[in-house]
Amino acid sequence: MGKAAEAGRTRGLDRVNTGQIISGVGHLGLIAFALFGGAFQSEPLPMEVSEVTAISSEDFALLMAQTQAPDAVANVDTPEPPEAGEAVPDLTSDTDETPVVAQPEVAEPDVPDEAPDVAELAPPEAEVTDEAPVLQPPSEEVAVLPEINPESQPRPADVIAPEAVEAPEPDVRIDDVDQQETQPDEAETVVEDEQEETARQETTTEIVTEAEEEEDAPIAPTASVRPVARPSRPVEEPAEEVVQDVPSTENSSVEDALAEALGTTQTETRPAGPPLTAGEKDALRLGVQQCWNVGSLSTDALQTIVVVAFQMTEDAKPVANSIRMVSSSGGSSSSAQQAFDAARRAIIRCGARGYDLPAEKYDQWREVEITFNPENMRIK
Amino acid sequence: MMKHVLTLLAAFLIGATPVAAQDSQPLKIIVDQGVIEPLPFAVPDFVAGSSASAEYARNIARVVSADLSGTGLFREIPSNAYISQITSFSSPVQFADWKAINAEALVTGFVNVDASGKLVVQFRVYDVFAGQEMSQGLQFVGTPDGWRRMAHKVADEVYKRITGEGAYFDSRVVFVSETGPKNQREKRLAIMDYDGANVSYLTDSSSIVLAPRFSPSGSQVLYTSYESGFPRINVLDVSNVARRALEGQDGTMSFAPRFAPDGRTVVYSLTRGGNTDLYTMDINTGASQRLTNAPSIETAPSFSPDGSQIVFESDRSGTPQLYVMSSGGGEATRISFGKGRYGTPVWSPRGDYIAFTKQSKGRFHIGVMRTNGSEERLLTASFLDEGPTWAPNGRVIMFTRETAGASGASSLWSVDITGRNLRQVATNTGASDPAWSPLQN
Repeated sequence: MGKAAEAGRTRGLDRVNTGQIISGVGHLGLIAFALFGGAFQSEPLPMEVSEVTAISSEDFALLMAQTQAPDAVANVDTPEPPEAGEAVPDLTSDTDETPVVAQPEVAEPDVPDEAPDVAELAPPEAEVTDEAPVLQPPSEEVAVLPEINPESQPRPADVIAPEAVEAPEPDVRIDDVDQQETQPDEAETVVEDEQEETARQETTTEIVTEAEEEEDAPIAPTASVRPVARPSRPVEEPAEEVVQDVPSTENSSVEDALAEALGTTQTETRPAGPPLTAGEKDALRLGVQQCWNVGSLSTDALQTIVVVAFQMTEDAKPVANSIRMVSSSGGSSSSAQQAFDAARRAIIRCGARGYDLPAEKYDQWREVEITFNPENMRIK
Repeated sequence: MMKHVLTLLAAFLIGATPVAAQDSQPLKIIVDQGVIEPLPFAVPDFVAGSSASAEYARNIARVVSADLSGTGLFREIPSNAYISQITSFSSPVQFADWKAINAEALVTGFVNVDASGKLVVQFRVYDVFAGQEMSQGLQFVGTPDGWRRMAHKVADEVYKRITGEGAYFDSRVVFVSETGPKNQREKRLAIMDYDGANVSYLTDSSSIVLAPRFSPSGSQVLYTSYESGFPRINVLDVSNVARRALEGQDGTMSFAPRFAPDGRTVVYSLTRGGNTDLYTMDINTGASQRLTNAPSIETAPSFSPDGSQIVFESDRSGTPQLYVMSSGGGEATRISFGKGRYGTPVWSPRGDYIAFTKQSKGRFHIGVMRTNGSEERLLTASFLDEGPTWAPNGRVIMFTRETAGASGASSLWSVDITGRNLRQVATNTGASDPAWSPLQN
């Protein structure tokens, strides 16, 4: 009994010591960061350095002439010239070289000649006839794994029926109804007509395209392996003595009760790890926001707050197909979609090399939910 | 019995333990700072269905790219950076290759001239990092000589899908083409694509023309002509350039006309007996109605998109300022209060902003403000900027910029309502007084 109490005290001391060590290391790190990390350093004042050379007055005059002359031209040259279309040459000749045409008569026929340009342009109006055929969803998997031959995959039946019919035996004749093959009766009391066995053709209730088929049979593993848990402390050192001291029935009943309440065995539970520090959260926030480009968002989308959730792999990369919009507020559904698209691009782009997150706390950031609030990014 | 009690107790304790809650809680963070930069995109030359369509395929892709880049919201990745090429429109896209060059959006297309001589353009837009198509592919059919319009339509769709804003590339601009020296300038009405291509002239240069304005359908243009020696309002049919002067203008000076959203009513300024006021007129019957009755000058009226209000310029307070009143006339509310003179207000087609010209401290500015006068924002500054007109999507403004001096010339410029992406519109001659058409059908 005395030994057990002493062991308890030792464990208590261990905990205190560990806490103190963690606290001490943390404070030391903070002080070190403040001293050497530049927190107390001020930005050096900007200083402009200009190289000066002496030039003659002629050179100066020449320089000034060079810098002033293109001014007007620069304004004109900034934009791209119009596309070399057929209309432009027509206009030039019309404007500059045929002043005779420009008579002030109202019913001047030459000037109206230009107008049919507009009328002729009208026909190409957007007859949006139909959507182009739907492609296979292009995916990287197709590119990366060319050896997967879709032809070798088992193909579903392409006959649509209200109810699915299982594949018949290979040597059965296809017919409209299922028929059992007749067997010669041993007793020979009833003579039946000879009947070949038939079965209905295999059918399905929906067409499964090859593109969908790939999703059904994912090449990559769908679940990632959970990280190895931190090794538990050797608290069970005096196990043998405990077993001897404590009646085994009492102990096992508590454990059984715990296991039953958890709905699992104790060996399956793992520590979630300590929560992320503010600095670690900031690292993720900064990592995402440097790719959150709202420059191409509509004014409506810039009024829309979207909450986006996604999963992370163990190497802190976002799982692209897990990114989903949890909620949105402040805008229409279309502007929410634009805002979500921009948020998704940010998460994927900046997460391509993995975010800066502590691997030992994976359970804390396995699932992430980010609120993208563009309030500060609106037009000022 | 003991076991049951323990089970209940354990279940209660574990249910209350925060560790269990943590396991199911995702990590939550808030991102409220981002970056504003052009979105990188790639538009490889469209795939040609035949040798006859090869040039169209190349040119259409270039126009699409120019449209998108011209907005300032997108940045094209040059073709020499491409890792893979698009050789088949129906093949899956190798997203990894486009990710590697940081192309966030990819536009692919197919162009063919069919047996009936029609040009068929198909295209798709991909969100490269999401690895999926943005909405479904589309197909346009038209005549080969309308290939530029089809390219603009493709660009409009791409722009809409990525930004969520309304389109504006398939639109036209009517303006005053100017040639000759400043003291002997010849002016003609001209019409062009929004990007400066396909210019046509609507009038000759025998008389001065000013301030053309499109009808809501884009089929007619109002403008002020000095053909009779006095300013008169004319209406011109764009399809056949037939034109006529509006009625009821004898012995008066009429100017600054603009269509109401109904397409039948015109609001304009009329000077009679030395006093200028606002009037409306039914374009078909010639019946007019006086809206203002003040000794001051009221001019530059512009309807709100719903037709319920009119913003105009008046010097009733001593200096030109902006006022808003009901479209039927009556009490007007002043909305501009900054230092300087305000003029040429134009209501945005979206109804959210009013664009204006401001003169302050010897400089001219194009600016925007909310319809109640709040959130005033100046977008440009120069020797002379004036006459703003809105793109159909209400996000871009085109205006006239004139340079100083005897050799000063007018040119057209455009700017985003954020004040970014100021750029000159290419025109063959000097140009002023632009008016942006609605989006073409």
